[in-house]
Amino acid sequence: MRQCEPALNISESASLERGYRRLLAFYPRWFRRESEDEILAVLMACAQDEQTRPSFEATSDLLKGAARMRLRPRPGQPRAVFAAVRLMCLGALAELGALLTIIVTAASVAAAGARSHPASVHTAGLHILADLILVPAAIAAWLLLARGVSRRSDPARIGLAAFFGLITMNMLAMLSAGFAHDATAAFAAGAVVWLISFVSLALVFTPASNRYFRRVATPTAHPAG
Amino acid sequence: MQEATFLILTALAAGSQHGYGIISDVADISGGRVKLLPGTLYTALERLRADGLIGVDREEIVDNRLRRYYRLTPAGEKRLAAEAARLHSHATAAIRRLKLNPAGGAAV
Repeated sequence: MRQCEPALNISESASLERGYRRLLAFYPRWFRRESEDEILAVLMACAQDEQTRPSFEATSDLLKGAARMRLRPRPGQPRAVFAAVRLMCLGALAELGALLTIIVTAASVAAAGARSHPASVHTAGLHILADLILVPAAIAAWLLLARGVSRRSDPARIGLAAFFGLITMNMLAMLSAGFAHDATAAFAAGAVVWLISFVSLALVFTPASNRYFRRVATPTAHPAG
Repeated sequence: MQEATFLILTALAAGSQHGYGIISDVADISGGRVKLLPGTLYTALERLRADGLIGVDREEIVDNRLRRYYRLTPAGEKRLAAEAARLHSHATAAIRRLKLNPAGGAAV
């Protein structure tokens, strides 16, 4: 196999390297810290004459690699914590689904309300407005907590516990209010989100997870082999 | 075991190698048929490290760049030997049966 490095002049190689670094940015942080320079050296060694940007083949290979890496637990991460992070991303996705449903059905709900109970249009509108603010906030909370938990932050675990408390209170409020006009779908969505938060919370507080979160100060996360 | 994984372990069977060396060696072993790309290689190396089949032998800085050499662990050697024996027995069976077959025997 050919060694191509000398064939690249400095500006070509700098521009190619920038291109590769942009692609490597999709990899998880722990992997970049460990291997970015090494993989970059191999990418540059495989470069063709006068190449200034990553080839289509290399681009799709790196993006696939990044996706696969993100679907794996980081070294030393217990399965329970990894599963919790994925579940929390699912929680964000469920909220996003609920948000889209609210937006799509808002017009028809309002119209139906106007026809049957003209007086309730105002409250229905307020409900929808509140959802449009609260649901994106919940999505942000899920994602932030998932990031914190995956980065082994103990406060994120406590945050998840608090968030679970809020979700539970919301569910109880919904139950005590009884089934309102559009309540069945909202109740089902709430139940799914509650279940996801309950299981994630249980997963981050298993004995193995507790050991993982308390062992924060160890600098070598990867077994050096 | 996937073919790429098998070839990576084979590339490391005789001694430690760095990433670019593994890519060249896998191309040689497979007669140029398997061209590993760096993304695929490092995804596989990370998995093999996590599974304890390979480890880092040493690190060097060449032209201001990190070069890490990988080697098989005892578990990796055992795994590769078992996989090679399995493939060998399958290949032997295939060749033997083709010889028994009066229509296709000449092809082997």
